[in-house]
Parts: sequence; C-alpha cells; structure tokens
Amino acid sequence: MQQHTKIALHTSFFALFTMSLFVTGCKDGNSPTAEENITKVEVHLVGGGINKEFAWEDADGSGGNAPTVEDIVILPNVTYTAHIHVYDGAKEVTSEIADERDVHLFTFTVTGANLTVSELDLDGNGKPFGGDSKWISGTASAGSVNIKLHHEPTDKINAANPGGEVDFDVVFPVKIQ
Amino acid sequence: MLKSKAALAGLCLLCATLALEAQDCHLALRGRVTEADTKEPLAYATVFVQEVGKGTMTDEDGRYAIPHLCENTSYTVQVSHVECAHFTQIVRLTENAEVDFQLLHDNVLGEVVVHEKSVAPPPVQSVLFVENSDLEATKGLNLGETLKKLPGVSLLNTGATIAKPVIQGLHSNRIAIVSNGVALESQQWGSEHAPEIDPFAAEKISVVKGAAGVRYGVGAMAGAIILEPAPLRAEAGVSGWLTLGGFSNGRGGIASGAADWHLPGKSLTFRIQGTAKRSGNLRAPDYFMGNTGASELNFSAMAGWKTARWNHEAGASRFDQRIGILRSAHIGNLTDLQRAIDSPTPLNNTDAFTYDLLRPYQDVQHNMLKYKTVLRISEKWKATGQYSFQFNQRREYDVVRRTGAAASKAQVAFRLWSNTMDAALEHFPIRHWQGGVGVQAVQQTNFVSRGGFIPDYQSVGGGIWAMERWRRFPSPWELEIGARYDVRQTSATTDGNLYDLDTLVRFGNLSGTVGLLYHADPNWTFSVHTGQAWRPPHVNELFARGVHHGAGTYEQGNPALLPEKAWNTNLTARFERNRWSAMLTLYRNAIRDFIYLNPGLNTVLTVRGAFPAYYYQQAQHAVLRGADANFAFPLPVGFSAEGGVSLLRGHRVTEAISNETQHDWLPLMPADRFQYGLKWTFKNKEQGTRNEDRKAGGPDSSDRSSSTVPRSSFYLRMSATTALRQSRIPEEGLLKAPPAGFTVLNFDAACTFRFNRSEDRLDIGLTIQNLTNLRYREYLNFFRYYADEPGMNVGLRAKIIF
Repeated sequence: MQQHTKIALHTSFFALFTMSLFVTGCKDGNSPTAEENITKVEVHLVGGGINKEFAWEDADGSGGNAPTVEDIVILPNVTYTAHIHVYDGAKEVTSEIADERDVHLFTFTVTGANLTVSELDLDGNGKPFGGDSKWISGTASAGSVNIKLHHEPTDKINAANPGGEVDFDVVFPVKIQ
Repeated sequence: MLKSKAALAGLCLLCATLALEAQDCHLALRGRVTEADTKEPLAYATVFVQEVGKGTMTDEDGRYAIPHLCENTSYTVQVSHVECAHFTQIVRLTENAEVDFQLLHDNVLGEVVVHEKSVAPPPVQSVLFVENSDLEATKGLNLGETLKKLPGVSLLNTGATIAKPVIQGLHSNRIAIVSNGVALESQQWGSEHAPEIDPFAAEKISVVKGAAGVRYGVGAMAGAIILEPAPLRAEAGVSGWLTLGGFSNGRGGIASGAADWHLPGKSLTFRIQGTAKRSGNLRAPDYFMGNTGASELNFSAMAGWKTARWNHEAGASRFDQRIGILRSAHIGNLTDLQRAIDSPTPLNNTDAFTYDLLRPYQDVQHNMLKYKTVLRISEKWKATGQYSFQFNQRREYDVVRRTGAAASKAQVAFRLWSNTMDAALEHFPIRHWQGGVGVQAVQQTNFVSRGGFIPDYQSVGGGIWAMERWRRFPSPWELEIGARYDVRQTSATTDGNLYDLDTLVRFGNLSGTVGLLYHADPNWTFSVHTGQAWRPPHVNELFARGVHHGAGTYEQGNPALLPEKAWNTNLTARFERNRWSAMLTLYRNAIRDFIYLNPGLNTVLTVRGAFPAYYYQQAQHAVLRGADANFAFPLPVGFSAEGGVSLLRGHRVTEAISNETQHDWLPLMPADRFQYGLKWTFKNKEQGTRNEDRKAGGPDSSDRSSSTVPRSSFYLRMSATTALRQSRIPEEGLLKAPPAGFTVLNFDAACTFRFNRSEDRLDIGLTIQNLTNLRYREYLNFFRYYADEPGMNVGLRAKIIF
C-alpha cells in the first residue's frame, strides 16, 4: 500500500503545481476593455446673430450606416468664434483632449469657399492647439472645410503636415450665403 | 543511470566499431527474433542497422530481413521491442547470414522499460524535419524564424517579432500547428497574430506539406507543423538541460531549461520546463525601430506513468508574451499611410534604444491542459484517448489619450476557450496493414470585447477518420490511404453595439488522401501523395466588420461564403547515399471556392477619413503550383555543401460581374527563394553520430543513440538566402511596389564538448544573421511600408545537458 500512497502523493503534488501555473493568469481575466471611438464632431459657431452647432456623426462606427454631415451655412463678411466639440457616443471627450492640448492639434483646410480660419488658441508651450478659433467669412460662395485632429504631431507649426496620427478627419460642406 | 546500463549490458553482447572495406554490397541479413524466456516469436520488433541508417520490423512470425549489406564489414545491429530491453550486436558478413536474436523482458528493476524506438517508416507525404544541431542553432528565435530555412516554408511577418509560418503559400487557417499532440486553437485568422508556441519545448519540429486534414482535421488543409517534445526520461534519476543566450540586435536575453525526474523503482516521470525572454528595440541598418521590444515567460510541465499495459501522460503549459508594435506602423488614415509609404525612413519614430514596451502592444496568454492515455489491448491493438483544454487570451493596447478612461485598459480583447477530445483505435501490422480509426470532438467559445473585429461565437464540431498503411518486405511499394468526415457548426452573435448578428452556420464534408511510395533502390525513393481536404469559412471571413488599422483598410465579411475544398498533389523524389542527400517536391494545390480579401471599388467613410473597402469573397478556384528542393553533399577536408530552392506560382480564377472569368495572380505569395551554404565539420575522435552531418530537411528520422562519441566536435557554416523580387502581383496593384530582390548572408558555428563516461554535454553556439548589415525589405512583411528589416544580429548561446 505504501507504493500507492506514494504515487498518490506524487500525482497530487504535480496537480497542485500545474494548477499554480494558471492561478497567476487569472487576475485580469474579466477586465473590460475601453475603446476610444470618436463618433461625433461638432462645430459650434457664434457670431452675426448665429449661435449654432453643426455636426458630423457616424453613430454606428465604421461600416454600417454612412455618416451624416450637416452643411455649415453662414452669412458673408462676418467673424465667428468657433469651438470644436468631440463626442464618444453620448460622452463628450472635448475636455480630455483639451487637458492634453500639448499633444493635440486641430487643423482646418478650406477649399472653394471664401472662408479663413485663424487665431487658433494655444497650448501650454505657446504652439497652436485649435479647440477655439476665429472663422472669417468673405463673399457668398460654396466649398468645404476639412477639419482634422492630430495626436502627437511632430511639427505643430507646419499646418499642412504636422505629423503624428489623425484621430479624426472630417469634411463639412460650407455655404456662405 | 550507470547501474541500469550495466544491467542492460548484461543482456547485451558487445559493441564494436565500423571499418568500411570492400564495397560488394549484395548480402542480406535475416533471422528471427524471439523472447528469451518463452521462446515465442516477437512480432513488431525493430531491427536496425546503425551504419546504413536502415531498419525493418519483424513480421507476425518474428522474422526480419535486411538486404544490401556489404561484405567484410562490421555492422552494429540494434534490436528492440516495446516491452523488452534494447539489445545490440555486432555482425560481420562474408556471405548471406542468418542471425537470430533473443530479447529478454526486463524484470530486473520491477518495471517495464519502454523504448518507443520503432523505425518510423519514411513518410509518404512530403515531410521536412528540423532537429538536433539545426534546431539548436535557431533556439531563441520564434517558431516562424525556426522554420524559415526549410524549402517550401516562408514567413508572413508583421515586423520582425511577429512571424506566421507559411507552407507552400498558405497560412493561418489553412495550416495546423500541433504542439505535444494538441492542435493550437487561437485567433490564428489574424495575419498579425503569431502562433503562441514556445519552440524550446520541442525536440523535433516536422513540417508536413500537402493535405494533412485526415490526420489533423479541418485546420490542416495545406499542411501542418508538428512540434514534439523529447520523450520523458526512461531511467531512474534526473536529467535535463539549461540554455542561456543573448542577441545583439534588440540586446535580448533568453534563458530556458527543463528537468526530468524519473522516480526510482516506479514508472513515474515528471518534467518541468520554462523559458524567459526579454528584448528591446530592434535596429535596422540605419535606425532603431521604436517600440519593437518583446518579453515572454513560458512554463510547461509533463508527467508520465507507465504500467504493463497503460501509458498515462498529462501535460500543462502556459505561454505569456508581450510584443511591442512598431510605433511608426500605427497610422490614422489613408493619407497617413501614403505619407508613410512615401517616406524612406519610418515616421514618428523614436530612434533610440529602450527596453520599454509602450502602446501600441499586444499581450497574449495561452494556457493548455492535456491528458492522454494509451492502452495496449493486445499484441496487435492499442487504444488512445486524449482530452485537451486551451484558453487563449489576446489583448491589444492601442495609442490613446493618456487621461481618458481608455488609458489603463486594452482596446480589443479576445478570449477563446477550446475543449478537444480524441479517441483512436490503432493496430500493428495485420496482414501487412497498419493503421487505425479515430474520432474527434471539438467545442469552442469565443468572447470579444466591444470594438473587436469579429463577433462572439460558439462552435462545436466532430470528425471521424481512418487510415491504413500497407508495407510488405521485400516489395518496394508502400501504400497509404486515409479518409475523414468532419462537421462544424458555429453560432455567432454580437451584443448589438455595432451591428446585430445572431446566426448559425453548419458545414460538413469528406476529405481523403492516397499515397504511394516506391523504393527504387537503397538510395532512391519516389512518392506521390494526393488528397482532398476542406475547411469551413472562419468567423472573421464570414462576419468581420471594421477598420484594420495596420493595413489602412476597411474589411467586411461575407456570410454567404461556402467551405473551401482543396485537391492537393505532391510528388517527391528522395536520394540518399552516404553523406549525399537530395529531395525534390513538385506540388499542385487546386482550391475550389478559395476565400480571399478583394478590394472593392468604393471607399468607406469613417471618422478617420476614407479607407479603401475590402470584402471577403470567393474565387471560382485558385491554383498554387510549385517546387521545393534541398540537397547536401560532402566535400573534401570536412567540408559539405547544402542548399535549397522554393518556387511558387499562385493564381486565381474569378467570375466577374459580366460573367467572364478573370485570371489573376494571388496576392501575398512568397517570392522565389534560394538558399545555399558551405559547412565545415570537425570531430575530435574518429566517427561521430550521423546527426551532426545531416542538415535540416533531411528526410530520415535519425537514430539518436550512438556507439562511439567524439570528445568534442564543432562546425562552421556560412550560408546565404537569395530572394527575388516578386513580380507576380494582382492586377489591382499594391499600395507600395514589392521590394527589390536581395541576398542575405548568415554565419553560424557551434561547438560540442562531451564529458567522459556520461551523457552530459555542453554546446556553445554563435549565430550571425544578416552578416553584412544589409538594408532590405521582405514582400511578406506588412511592415515593409514603414521600415527596413533588422540589421546584423549576433547571437551567442550555451546549452548544458545533464
């Protein structure tokens, strides 16, 4: 009988040992993930009697239904103050981006319309950030504005090519009338 | 250890040395093997002649015959049987001789000495091996890098740290990776998901080319990679090994070791094994590649318990790896991708060395539990049962805002639980047929967190197979046939966040293989292996939906996909004579309903901009044709030459909207590759084991024991790989043209010291990859858009075997 108990001891030791291999692996088994999705970008324009938000939205994420965009309709020869709001589903993440303004940059590229975007607000190092800006409309015209958010840009002064990664890249049609 | 050897020696006769003289080699040795006590004939005993590396099995009457032996030559004949002691005798022939052997059931130690040292019949299917010194030289590299030198095998890389093996042009869901008898179940559909395997746990790695579905199931349509651990220690005592190594590129270190403990007086053996690896940023010839470090910590354990009729085995393993993803490869949108492609150096790159692993990185754990039992029902029959459990967890950590809620969590997580049960009934030769039947059942559960690419799914499946092999001495022909029927049922659901899915798909199909082998003469063997295999479309091909950031594409699955069916034919010719060897394999793999990712004509607009849309589609059929060859031959003064070639042409036939058929090249097919090298071997004493002379890819499973062993031996080898530019690319073109052809030089050397009168040994090895620090890019590396391949890498390793 000694033989059998010895074998039983050995095998139970082995079983305990192998189980210990897996105990260390269980700690993070159930931690949820947190995806970072930008589903809506809003441009809030104030000036010339207008106080309106224009939204670019893709509620169901990539694929599925196509994104919806609102036309930015503004009056000619007016200076507007613009503020960009960014949403992840129902949650607004604008303040999180603003907290990390040193590594973020909004860029605005206008085509077609007589619209100038300037006076971007600055980050902690005196470099452009762009959460707030001034939009100056010229004569009646139509075109589009391409707004991008760059994350960790390598050259913030170079608005055409700041580097880093693009967190969003949306195009709003612009109508000055 | 020595005492049990002395006991065996008491049953053995003497061992002598070899002296090659006259070359008249038409003599035959035949006889009968019986059990010493009962005088009963011993069937299925192995009679092996070490000097010619050939052997045979005794038939039901205990009789054997070995032809083509030389006159006036001493041969070491080793006789063994599953239940008896290993037995060696020297035979010297002057004429056809008849020698009878008697083996004794070993009762001295109160246990059964089991030597599963049956001569493996030459495989009918095209199989290549990596073992012994060639396997040692690659220890420390990942599985893909270990197999890279075999002709017909290439790599699909996502950077240098993530490498997926490709067999004859096919990979991921089309080849199975089997480690210690358990087929790896993980998120292998992903092109950037490397296999979760620790090559240190394997003593031998085989690559089976061609339809391997009958033996390994629906995941092995185009082949299988089999990793086998060393057999558990058979004698009482402790043995093991320890390897330490370092690599200059990435300033990496590895430590790995294993120990076997065989309890005295019992048939119980335990093994524990572990590996630890750590490396930092890799360096291309001109710059460091930011965030390309990796760390790994693996454990495995085995236990074996043998009785007269039962053989129990339990195993457990854990694989834990963290891999940094090249920061420059993490792009926002298509414009960024184009800028990265146009830039000769990586963008957003931190050109400095660090061990830090920052976002983006992958974090993978793979846990496996296995229990297997073999019952010797009778002399001719045995039954095998195996249960295995696997849990695979893969998390991807993306670049996110530091203060956001996402900052401490993963962005995507996959969890996959798999249960597999196998049962088989096999028999030793009955009327010269050997084989068996078996069943397999698989169950899987997969959970994906929000943001994942594929839905949650539950899958159940089963298979039933039968295989038989006919061999009859002295006929030079051998035949192998097999058939299998599989079913797979998958139900997929999403939690409604992105899109609604609640569907069930079911597939079932037959597969079968036929192989024929012909021994033309002692040096030449020809074989043809043909078969049909199939695989069901995987969940990602059916239901994927989302942006694949690394590739800058939006991918969408197709729920209407049908299973793929492949007809795969391999023709192999093998030549072996003394130290000359050559092998040529010609193959044709025709796959009906081939599933591939097709660029659509539209782009998908996402918040990050427009991405080209790719849709999973089915071609009418795809045909992959190719040739793999390798050779080795001796040169004077201890030199030898070796080389290999891999050629492949893959094209697909699709039906266009206008109902015309279009012929096009398949994307991501490996370019033509040539390998060649010169090796110089030195042995301190006269004749060493055959193992050191065989190069990787040799078809014979070498005998591991040896008579005289050299005190020390070493080799130097200079080898080169030339890859041509891949000119056969699909019509729609590529975002970046395939890279130019290149030739990479490698050097490796190893020295073995053996200690007197024991099996202890010390191996020291040096490998230098990319000796000339060449600047080059590989076509099958997804990161070729962003960075060069790593530059020179000097690796040093030491292994002590005790």
